Amino acid sequence: MIRVVIVDDEPLARDVVREFLSADEEFEIVAECANGFEAVKSVSTHDPDLIFLDIQMPKLDGFEVLSLLDKTPTVVFVTAHDEFALRAFEVNAIDYLLKPFSEARFGEVLRRVKAQAGRRAEPATLASALRARPLQRIVMRGEDGTIEVVPASRVDYVEADDDRILIASAGRKLAKQQTIGELASELDPDRFVRIHRSYLLNIDRIEKLELYAKDSRIAILRDGTRLPVSRAGYTRLKELL
Amino acid sequence: MTEWRAPLLAAFAVAAASLIASTLLFIRDGVTAPQATLAALGPSLLFGFIGLAARYPCKVLPLRSTDISRMLLTHGGAAGVASSAWILAWNAWLPFVSGPPAGASTLIGLGVVMYALAVTLHYLLIEIETSRAAEESALRYQMLAREAELKALKAQIDPHFLFNSLNAVASLCGSRPADARQMAQLLADFFRMTLRVGPLERISLAKEIELVSRYLAIEKVRFGQRLAVEVTIEDGAGDWLVPPLLLQPLMENAVRHGVASMVEGGTVKIAASVAQGMLRIEIENPADPDRDDAGGEMIGLQNARGRLSAISGGRASLRTSETAGRFLVEIEVPR
Repeated sequence: MIRVVIVDDEPLARDVVREFLSADEEFEIVAECANGFEAVKSVSTHDPDLIFLDIQMPKLDGFEVLSLLDKTPTVVFVTAHDEFALRAFEVNAIDYLLKPFSEARFGEVLRRVKAQAGRRAEPATLASALRARPLQRIVMRGEDGTIEVVPASRVDYVEADDDRILIASAGRKLAKQQTIGELASELDPDRFVRIHRSYLLNIDRIEKLELYAKDSRIAILRDGTRLPVSRAGYTRLKELL
Repeated sequence: MTEWRAPLLAAFAVAAASLIASTLLFIRDGVTAPQATLAALGPSLLFGFIGLAARYPCKVLPLRSTDISRMLLTHGGAAGVASSAWILAWNAWLPFVSGPPAGASTLIGLGVVMYALAVTLHYLLIEIETSRAAEESALRYQMLAREAELKALKAQIDPHFLFNSLNAVASLCGSRPADARQMAQLLADFFRMTLRVGPLERISLAKEIELVSRYLAIEKVRFGQRLAVEVTIEDGAGDWLVPPLLLQPLMENAVRHGVASMVEGGTVKIAASVAQGMLRIEIENPADPDRDDAGGEMIGLQNARGRLSAISGGRASLRTSETAGRFLVEIEVPR
C-alpha cells in the first residue's frame, strides 16, 4: 500500500486527484491539506510515501513545505504554473503535473511512483536546490512543531550558533537548522553581507561602523546591537556600501 | 539610396530617348551611325540632367492636389527653358560636328517632347512610391494596433486563471456534471464579455462591475467558502464612464495576492460613489503581511495606474495602502 497526502488550497483541485487515485487500489489517502502549515504537520504525523503538492498556497508555498520536512516522501508537484518545473526537479520531485491534467497523464505518474517505490529522495538534496531568485522569506520549524515565517526584509542579522543559526528579527531570535553559509547563498547578496565568520547582516540595519582595534571593527545597528566585523567582512561591506 | 533610384531611372530614360532621337537626326545628314551617336552624346547628356531636374517641379506640384492651369503654366515654362537649353547645347556643340541636325522648330518640338517624357515618368514613379509607402504605413499601423491590443489583453488576464478554472471544470465533471456545465458557461461568458468590451474606449462602471462579478463568480467556484464578495454601488456611480477592464486586473490582484494568501480566506469589497465631480472606487481585500510578494507593486496595479493617467491627463489617480492586514486601492476618475 502506498500512503498518500494531497496538498492543495482549492477543494476542487484535491477532488480530482482523489478521484483519479481511487481507481487504483494500491494507493491510500491518509490526509488532505488546504495549506502549507497543515501539510508540514500532516506529513510529520502520517509519514506518507507520496505527496501531491500544490506550489502556490497561503502561508507556505510547496517548496517551503519541503524545506521544513525532516523526512521527504516522494513528491509530485501539481500546479497551473509551468515556470517552476526546473526548480521542482532540482528538489527531486518525481513528476510535475500541469493543471488541468488527463487521467492518462495521471496514470503515468502513478506508474512512475510504483516503479520508484521504496526509494526516497534525500532531504539533504532539497536544501541545496538552486533558486531562480533570492529567498524572500525564511521558514523554520520550532521544537514544538510551530512554523515561523520571517520575510527577508524583516531580518536584522543572522548569527551562527553551533550546528544551527539564530535569526534576529525585531528583538526576537529564532533558531533554524542550517549553516550560515548556506543561508547567505540563498538570500539577496545585495542586501545581506557576511561581516564575520559567524554573522550575516542586513545592511539596511547599519547605523555606523566603529574602529575597535587594528584591523577589527564593530557594526552598530539601529537598535543598538553591536556586531563584530572581520577584516574580510569589512572589505565585503565596503564593496556594497 | 533607394530614394534616388526612381529619379535616376527617369533621367536615364530621357537621356536614352534623346540619344536615339538625336542620332536619327544626324544620320539623315549622311553621317555613319557610330559618328552620329558620338555627336549626339553631349546634348543627350544635358537632357539627362534636365530630365533629372524635372523631378523638382513634379514634387512641388503633386498630381492629385494641383489645379490644371497652374500645372500647365509651370511645366510649360519649364519645357520652354528645357528646349532653349537644348538648342543652346546644340549650337555650342556645332563646331564639333558637321552642321546642324535639323531646323529650330524640330529641335524645340523635340525638347518639349523630351521634357514631357521626363515629367510623365516622374509623376508615374512618384505615384508608385506614394502608394507603396501608404500601403506600408497602413500595414505598420495595423500591426502596431494589433500588438497593443494583444499586449493589453495579455496583461489584463492572467493565463493561470484560465488553467486553474479549467482544472476546476475537469474536477467537477467527475463529481457534479451540472456544476461543471455552469462553470464552463461562466468562463465562456466572462471571456466573451472581455473580448467585447476590450476594444471600446470607455464603458459604464455598471458594465465593468458586471464583468468583474462574472470573474468573481468563477473564482468563488474555485475558492469555495474562502472567498466572499461585497459590492456597493451608490446612485449615479453606475453610469460613470471608465476604461474597460480597469477593475478586472485589480480584482485578480485582490484574489490572487490577497484572499488566496490567507488560510481562512476573506472578503473582497468593492465600493463606488460620486463626490465633488469625481467617481471614487475603493477595492479592499485582506492580505497576509508575510506573503511572498509583500512590498512590490503588482503588474496589474502599474497597468491600471498607467491607463488612468493616459485617459485623464493626470486628473485621475490610483492610491494603494496596506494597514493591519488589509490592502486598499483607491481610484478617482473625473467625468
